[in-house]
Amino acid sequence: MNARSFLACLAIMGFAAPAFAHAFLEHAAPAAGETLATPPRQVALAFSEQLEPAFSGVTVADSAGQDVEAGHAVVAGESMSVALKPLAPGTYRVTWHAVSVDTHRTEGAYSFTVKP
Amino acid sequence: MSISASHRHAAILVAALLVPAAADAHGVIGARFFPATISSDDPFAADELALPTITIFNHETDTNFDYSKSIFPGFAIDLGMGYDDAHPPGGAHASGFSNLDVSPAMELFRSPEHEFIFSAGVDWEIGGSGSRSVADRSSTFTPTIKYGKGFGDLPDEMALLRPFAVTGTVGTAITSTNSNSVAWAGALEYSLLYLQNNVRDQGFSNFVAHLTPIVEYSFTSPVDAGGGGETTGTFNPGLIWSGQYTQLAIEAIVPANRASGNNVGVIAQLHFYIDDIFPDTLGKPLFGGKP
Repeated sequence: MNARSFLACLAIMGFAAPAFAHAFLEHAAPAAGETLATPPRQVALAFSEQLEPAFSGVTVADSAGQDVEAGHAVVAGESMSVALKPLAPGTYRVTWHAVSVDTHRTEGAYSFTVKP
Repeated sequence: MSISASHRHAAILVAALLVPAAADAHGVIGARFFPATISSDDPFAADELALPTITIFNHETDTNFDYSKSIFPGFAIDLGMGYDDAHPPGGAHASGFSNLDVSPAMELFRSPEHEFIFSAGVDWEIGGSGSRSVADRSSTFTPTIKYGKGFGDLPDEMALLRPFAVTGTVGTAITSTNSNSVAWAGALEYSLLYLQNNVRDQGFSNFVAHLTPIVEYSFTSPVDAGGGGETTGTFNPGLIWSGQYTQLAIEAIVPANRASGNNVGVIAQLHFYIDDIFPDTLGKPLFGGKP
């Protein structure tokens, strides 16, 4: 195998490897920094990898730090969501942590605002 | 401490090392993902492969590889070597293999909430292991401290600055020829992924969201009479794209002064996250990783 073939094999290995990697957040609703006229009924997050439900979760808190979830987070496949209590106008903080099926952990947090 | 207590503590330590737990992905500390820097070392001890890193600067083309293997969580050994091809103006063409670099490094402190990591290591360039035409015959030991800090803990009024992060290294290069110097390097980076996911959704495409604009720097300052000369170094502005398994990076090499070079060069790297590509074999620590 010459050097060019070796590099080609490495590139294929890297780009076409099976789906086991750390979970990047790919989509969030509400989104980071979003201002909403209508209070959302849930927070839904989509990730790049399959999640381990036992080690992944999301919480939502108001500006006073009080949790506003209406139930436990639901983690399935590459997504997680949590239902919310009726939200008053204000700013809310979403905090998530995700463990992909290869046990790599990622986490993040962002805020959204409900307009008066 | 009694013998039984010390045994108990040792057992707890061993158990803590062996219990399967969520592992930190390469370059992740808290909500921050640090891409692997290419002109300076980063503070993470991980399973990674950089192949190749191509540097064209100062009438020389270097092709390097680096392989980092984690021995246990937070401790890794990096092996690096390359092939240098020099065409100095007015001088003789020289080419050959550079010396082998062996660089153990250990993560000493992590603060996920402050996106901060501190580590230390030693770089050992083994003199005489490369080709006589291009490689030094004397060895160089460089004890180095390394850090990384993301600014996600800035207040809300400064939210747009939260995607910024810095990394840095400072080391003393000790040679057998009494030409000791201080090597200092680092990076200032702005993570579009952090901006998109943790500050304000900009509607970036998946590709754009994984870009990190970055400026790296790498300097050497002589510290004794044997070193001679002045501080030399480069600023390297560029862009890194980080995928799930690989990373592509390209930077310009801008000499900081005339002693550092006369022309702008370029450095590019293809990087593989071995811990993600082979999570159950090559990509996990030899000891203390997940079963």
